[in-house]
Amino acid sequence: MTKLNIKVENVVANARIADELDLNYIESRLEDAVFTKKKFPGLVYRTKEPKSAFLIFRSGKVVCTGSKTEEGVRRVMDTLSADLRGIGVEVVEHPEFRVQNIVASANVGRELNLGAIVVGLELEGMEYEPEVFPGLVYRIAEPKSAILIFSSGRLVITGGKTLEDCEKSVDVLLDKLRQIGLL
Amino acid sequence: MAAPKSDKEATRDGAKKKREGTVDADAVVAAVAAAKEGLKECPECGSKCLICDYGKAEIFCEDCGLIIRENIVDLGPEWRAFDSEQKSKRARTGAPMTYRMHDKGLSTVVSSGSGLSPGEYKLKKWQQRTHVANTTERSFIFALSEIDRMASALRLPVNIREAASMLYRKAMKKRLIRGRSIEGITSALLYISCRQYGVPRTLEELRDVSRVGQKEISRAYRFLLRELDLKVSPASPVDFVPRFCSLLNLDGEIRSHAVEIIKKATEAELTNGRGPIGIAAAAIYIAAILSGEHRTQKEVSDVTGVTEVTIRNRYKELSEQLEIPELLEV
Repeated sequence: MTKLNIKVENVVANARIADELDLNYIESRLEDAVFTKKKFPGLVYRTKEPKSAFLIFRSGKVVCTGSKTEEGVRRVMDTLSADLRGIGVEVVEHPEFRVQNIVASANVGRELNLGAIVVGLELEGMEYEPEVFPGLVYRIAEPKSAILIFSSGRLVITGGKTLEDCEKSVDVLLDKLRQIGLL
Repeated sequence: MAAPKSDKEATRDGAKKKREGTVDADAVVAAVAAAKEGLKECPECGSKCLICDYGKAEIFCEDCGLIIRENIVDLGPEWRAFDSEQKSKRARTGAPMTYRMHDKGLSTVVSSGSGLSPGEYKLKKWQQRTHVANTTERSFIFALSEIDRMASALRLPVNIREAASMLYRKAMKKRLIRGRSIEGITSALLYISCRQYGVPRTLEELRDVSRVGQKEISRAYRFLLRELDLKVSPASPVDFVPRFCSLLNLDGEIRSHAVEIIKKATEAELTNGRGPIGIAAAAIYIAAILSGEHRTQKEVSDVTGVTEVTIRNRYKELSEQLEIPELLEV
């Protein structure tokens, strides 16, 4: 199966860095930390180098987004840990994290007729409302993921926990497209 | 109107007229009655000319004479009326059943016809109050009235209202309304019904008459599609053309021209990923100008709800590919 230049654009992971965190203290001491208690119970901390965003919660759990590789997540997590320890907050030095979602992009290489796909695949899990959004949303059960299909032929795959998941999802889609002769 | 003949004469005459090429009302009624009995063609000769003779209580084939069914039940009234006044005096039924009312239109109300005495008026009010049993019914009545209100504002025909009301009942049965805004659901249901009947209304039009915002309607829409397992085909630009043209006072020729443009554009795959309303708007704009009936981009924008920029962009795309001569901006 051709890989169609599947490129990982974003990795979302979460980790537990402490048993409890004082978000108000962190916001006051940490630059680039934003905490709007009324709007959202998590503190938002954005780093510039490497570029990423963290949601830090009072429970000591964090969500990390923005990295393009697992290695990137590791590095940026360690940076977060260092930053927090730098302002006197006790956290795990090298937090163990778990990847929850990978967002990847791909290109089929040619234009696709979305209306024809809807008619041809006639399946559940297909959302196409050109009035609302130009992309077709195709949800796959196994692996559990969603693929945004655009008329340019570009794809956005999301929901997978590994790169293999993303590739498998794309394969499922391509298979279906070949079945109805649209590829 | 001539006095009605006996059923047998009527149906035989009707059949004869059918052969001669004209249609008789009695024959049509007879054919429909036969179909209602579950028959469509004669089992022996396959003819579709079946006659219901209520006089002899038979259904027979007009071509081969086979008696297909005997002792059929005539479900009509036992009286006859020779003009509308007699008919209204003798008829015992009321209005047809409808899904648009919470009790399906089957309950009886105290009429205020020739004025009520204070006691009668009180009775009427109390009857109306006891009518509604609990909160569920009350919110149901509210939902149906919302559907009616929005449908009136959008000038939707009765069948779409009925469809939307039926869908609401389905949603209620599946307990989908719980915790969601009734206004959002009803707006979404109307949107779905319009789409299903091939006369889609834009989300903007729905939003204009709805009490909730577009986001809420979209959310409810996607939710309902999934939970009610509905298949709604993507709105085609062609579906919007007749309505927009009539709102712009453009005649049938321009309308068909616009449809042609859309068809060509779809074949040339120019419509991919583009909002159907924008395409319809541009096609109408082009067709209008080509017929000499200038409509400004602003006028088209006001009627369709798409921005002038979109119309301009779509129009450029369409005219490039379809080789429509460059037109001056009005």
